[in-house]
Amino acid sequence: MTIVTHGEDDRAVLLVHAYVDGELDPANVIALEQRMAAEPKLAAEQARVVALRRALRERLPQEAAPPSLEARVGRTVGLTAARARPTWLALAASVLLAIFASSGGTWYALQSPADDGTAEAVIAGHLRALMAPQAIDVASSDRHTVKPWFNGRIPQAPRVIDLAQDGFPLLGGRVDVVGRTPVPSLVYGRRQHLISLTAIPDASVAIDKSQSARGYNVIAWTADGVNYWAVSDLNPSELQTFARLFRDAPS
Amino acid sequence: MSGEDTRARFERIVRPHLGDAYALARWITGDRADAEDIVQEACLRAFRAINGYSGGNTRAWVLTIVRNTAYTWLARNRSAVVTTVDDLAATEHANASLAEASADGAYAANPESDLIAMADAARLEAAIAALPPHFRDTLVLRDIQGLDYREIAAVTDVPVGTVMSRLARARQRLIRAIEAGE
Repeated sequence: MTIVTHGEDDRAVLLVHAYVDGELDPANVIALEQRMAAEPKLAAEQARVVALRRALRERLPQEAAPPSLEARVGRTVGLTAARARPTWLALAASVLLAIFASSGGTWYALQSPADDGTAEAVIAGHLRALMAPQAIDVASSDRHTVKPWFNGRIPQAPRVIDLAQDGFPLLGGRVDVVGRTPVPSLVYGRRQHLISLTAIPDASVAIDKSQSARGYNVIAWTADGVNYWAVSDLNPSELQTFARLFRDAPS
Repeated sequence: MSGEDTRARFERIVRPHLGDAYALARWITGDRADAEDIVQEACLRAFRAINGYSGGNTRAWVLTIVRNTAYTWLARNRSAVVTTVDDLAATEHANASLAEASADGAYAANPESDLIAMADAARLEAAIAALPPHFRDTLVLRDIQGLDYREIAAVTDVPVGTVMSRLARARQRLIRAIEAGE
């Protein structure tokens, strides 16, 4: 077994591969064809590369993306989560329309005097954030940056807690609108998932619920006169963990 | 409404390449579930960046994001794998050389190349999976997904010369693996 280390031969080998790939300019093609005719080693390399490409093309099974992935991607970017194979352009209709029009059953369960449309509003805020170029208006993992940012934008800055050590890093915050009231939303991360936590002050009715709708999980609770709504495509148990951590964290 | 425009752009630019995106992520991670997570995250990144996308080759753009997302993901979730990526520099500087397996002088090329062309799928998959990461994604982009050298250089963010040497080395390793298995 000989290992050829001569630089010119190495270059010739690269050219043989590029030749098979149709990447050589005419001048190099002519020169290389002459060399391959004279040098069996280069001709053999060419035959091997051609054979390998044939094997890769003909022998490897073609595996398409699973249909569930399309639905998942659609959900991620704010197109609705239809079952089966959605017609994507048709789904480019408003997410809000889909939420209001086609999820009555699920939403009915979420409705209560305390909700009066709040659940729709917080999910809509979450979806809008996912669709926007930036999910957050202030991007910072430092709660001492995020909290002051809200001052001056809304009447009352929310409680901001850093849960990075628990695997829910703070990513930033934004202002959503619920009803006609601007309210603060904190954004946390969990692996590739985003969690929007919307804080609605002056809670007149205490709430405590967890629900899922249109592929999103929602957990709501009341603490210190503030209604908190956590929305994410994260699985329910991890979102529950998040809610518990936030609720139980010392201020 | 600009939101509609953004979604329409996503439809046109990203959506057609979901299959390639998934295949690339699967080859890089070797795992279907991981590949789905990566494609989802990559699509979100693409969606957020799409209004800044200035045109050009949409597939190369999407695959660039998928590949970057996949390596970020690996670094986060499987740091051991990525350490081996960094060790590649030395390997890459070794030049592609004539396949060591072939004897000098005259031999009939046909029986050997017939054998390579008939390699079975399982052996090919195992050999590709065993490649160092950057050899593997270069080979996948060229020989499975059909990108040209310039596109691969753009996706993997290296000069065309590096694409050429990675590709040649990757192919020679596959050929040796096939021949060694017979």
